[in-house]
Amino acid sequence: MLNRIVVYVLAATVLSAVTYFITRNAVINKAPGLVMSTIEARIVAGSGGWNACFHNQTYGPRTNAARRAKPDSIISSMAYDLSEGPVRIAGETWPRYWSISFYQQNSDNFFVMNDLEMASSAFGFILALDGQDTSAYSGVPIISPTEKGIMLVRRFAADATDMEGIIANQEALTCAPA
Amino acid sequence: MLKYAIITLGAMSVIAATFFATRAMTVSSLTNQSSVFEAFEDVDGTWLYSDKIGAAAASSVERARVAINGPLGLSSKEAVYFVALRDGEGEALKSQCTYRVSGQPIDTRWWSLTLYDAVTQHYVPNPENRSSWNSVSVPRDETGQWQVVVAPTPQDGAWLPSQAAADQSFDLMLRVYNPSAATRAILPKIDLPIVERVSC
Repeated sequence: MLNRIVVYVLAATVLSAVTYFITRNAVINKAPGLVMSTIEARIVAGSGGWNACFHNQTYGPRTNAARRAKPDSIISSMAYDLSEGPVRIAGETWPRYWSISFYQQNSDNFFVMNDLEMASSAFGFILALDGQDTSAYSGVPIISPTEKGIMLVRRFAADATDMEGIIANQEALTCAPA
Repeated sequence: MLKYAIITLGAMSVIAATFFATRAMTVSSLTNQSSVFEAFEDVDGTWLYSDKIGAAAASSVERARVAINGPLGLSSKEAVYFVALRDGEGEALKSQCTYRVSGQPIDTRWWSLTLYDAVTQHYVPNPENRSSWNSVSVPRDETGQWQVVVAPTPQDGAWLPSQAAADQSFDLMLRVYNPSAATRAILPKIDLPIVERVSC
């Protein structure tokens, strides 16, 4: 009888330990993707769809911003989905500071470039999956490791007086299927 | 037959109980303010540093914590991040205290110093709608030195508002964008701002 209880307790402990490790790893590994999906849904709701630009046009802190949002970094964003082909992003850089960054579905920042690294203030990028043909499109190819993800364009606004120029810069930005 | 049904039921109960308990514990550990910056390097007792934000080299836990608590940060190729949870004497930053944050020029494209509520991780609502100062907007003397006063009530000079209610926790995040090669070479031991408690 005692032996049987020991076996049951041991089996329950092993089962519990296995469940613990599987569950913990699943939560940790899935969390970034869930956060990305939530942000993508917000961007899509604001821009009207995937592969379209969405602009924050407010200087300073906002109550509806993401956690640890930066009030002096004015952001344009795009939630992308490359399942039906590459996406083209084009526009002008912003002289105070400008960067374009791409995030794969696990939230890693796999590409970033700033205005000082650009050949000119006018730019064009073709975002594609590995294996997608980009030769027919004008722009610098960027390969996304995942089908979906997020693009952010950051522009430094020293204060609210920069916003008029930044909004004009935002309106010159295009994000669309190539 | 009944014996096997009881064993199966017992096993399922163990799995279900462990699953729900582990899920709750793991989510709590990822979102708990005290653990968010656990993997950051302590630079000088005040400032913590990480070059793993947005990085492929980050561990699964670091990636999950960043994604939940401050998603879409730039990788260290473009920006580096410091956070202060404590003042220069090692005491936790509290809303009822007044702090003087003073710094020297940082050799970088631009920087910003932002105050966040440590619990909500959002900005602290205030009448001036201000949550940060940056390298252009902050008043500086002829040598480039600058000073910001963190306090719950309006202050002369560059005021960075903390919570009006007492005994609230906050943190200060210093973002350094596009740092020069000279700055990168000495990271994270750059001339970081001094956070001095003036009164409580």
